[in-house]
Amino acid sequence: MACLTVRYIRQGTGPKQGAPINIAFVDKKDVESLGIGVEDAIHAIARQVAGPVGINVFDMEAVTTTSDGIMVEGAIVTMAAADIGEVHQEFGILHMEELEVTPELIEEEPHLAQWEKYFKGKKLFRGPAPHKKLIPVHNAVMTGRAINNNSATEMMNAVTMEEILLPILGQLQIMNDGPVVFGITGEIMSVGIGMTVAEKYGRVFPTRQFRAGDTAHGSGEYAKNVKSNIPCIVAPKSVLAKHILRALNAGMVPGLHISCSPAVLAVASAKGAEIATYNITEKAKIELRSVGVDVDKIKPKAPMSDEEIIARADEIIPGVVDPVLVNSSEIVTKLEISV
Amino acid sequence: MKLMHTSLPEFKLKLQMAALKQSPNKTLEIRGIENLKSAKMQSLRTGRIELAVEEIARDKDIDKVEVVVMPRVPETMHTVIVKGIAKDGTAKKAILETINIIHPTEEVELADVKEIDDRRPPLGRH
Repeated sequence: MACLTVRYIRQGTGPKQGAPINIAFVDKKDVESLGIGVEDAIHAIARQVAGPVGINVFDMEAVTTTSDGIMVEGAIVTMAAADIGEVHQEFGILHMEELEVTPELIEEEPHLAQWEKYFKGKKLFRGPAPHKKLIPVHNAVMTGRAINNNSATEMMNAVTMEEILLPILGQLQIMNDGPVVFGITGEIMSVGIGMTVAEKYGRVFPTRQFRAGDTAHGSGEYAKNVKSNIPCIVAPKSVLAKHILRALNAGMVPGLHISCSPAVLAVASAKGAEIATYNITEKAKIELRSVGVDVDKIKPKAPMSDEEIIARADEIIPGVVDPVLVNSSEIVTKLEISV
Repeated sequence: MKLMHTSLPEFKLKLQMAALKQSPNKTLEIRGIENLKSAKMQSLRTGRIELAVEEIARDKDIDKVEVVVMPRVPETMHTVIVKGIAKDGTAKKAILETINIIHPTEEVELADVKEIDDRRPPLGRH
């Protein structure tokens, strides 16, 4: 019998109430090397855990985008939720849709110029195709208590109603055995995650609903509290800075091509890069002002080098309350599961 | 006239009767539809649920029948009406919003069940 390596975070790990359910990450390449299907692997993990668990399957050769529209290497290709050893037959598994990157798609989604410059030829995955999922709105899977939502970047317990936010960069740190930051989301992150880019089959929205410079929250000063008190596992800010800088260096302009989240604006401001203030909606400005970011008052500063921004990322990029830097080995157990 | 749907009070009564039919000592509790005030329940399934209640209640080891009603599709979409009522009781203004609710699936009720007989048709074949 073969063994599958699973990166496993036990329920309760982390600050506040910790992870609300168990979390299991698996590399699709490891699954394929065993000659089994992804769904077989998911069922094997479900049986082994025998409790509520969110399961994410990664293709580390593919690319995806963050909610800011920043392109990153490593993508979630399948999401699952399991409980009591079972995977719900109808709502337990969802596959992300591979998107063919064409000149037409890049024209519609200018942040994909990053693919053209850095990742040409790589497969692109974000969310699922809406016509292939059974529930009406969210890109979510659920079995019993376990809910895996927003294309596998948010996990919840439907009974305790606790939640954890898992932005893609933090998950990729775990897949790469790198350090991560455990913390509480806070008001800045709550506002930031609502500032998305327009994407077909996006991680949260199936259609191009909210363009760069706009906010999906649209809830004024309430936006800062929407997701402000939730445990999260994120990448260290130096890693986030490196990715934002790479996008800026591809000519991406915050508020025009990529989002106007506080993190993106902070890095762009430190670099002395252009910010499309004119394209940021009044709704987005209200939400940004509510957390102390007034885009109309951002003044050009003496530009820092990329290296300096990365080195000083913790003081430049706002967000995440009570952050604790840990090696992923401190929170992740590598399980060998018989399949 | 052939009634295709059963009224909510009649639905509840029918399930009580199906349990009591086996013995006056059998009790029945319905959970999950407490906030429904008026609704029409699918008649075809009402009959099958009556049959299921009777079958469960027939077991001499079983004292109580629990009937749990939960969303089959675990994300439900709702309209939210925010209404402003004036001093004279008239509705002056309403804002319509929407909210989507995610629910646990049936496994939360089945963890300690010894025997499960799933009689639900696949989605789309009702």
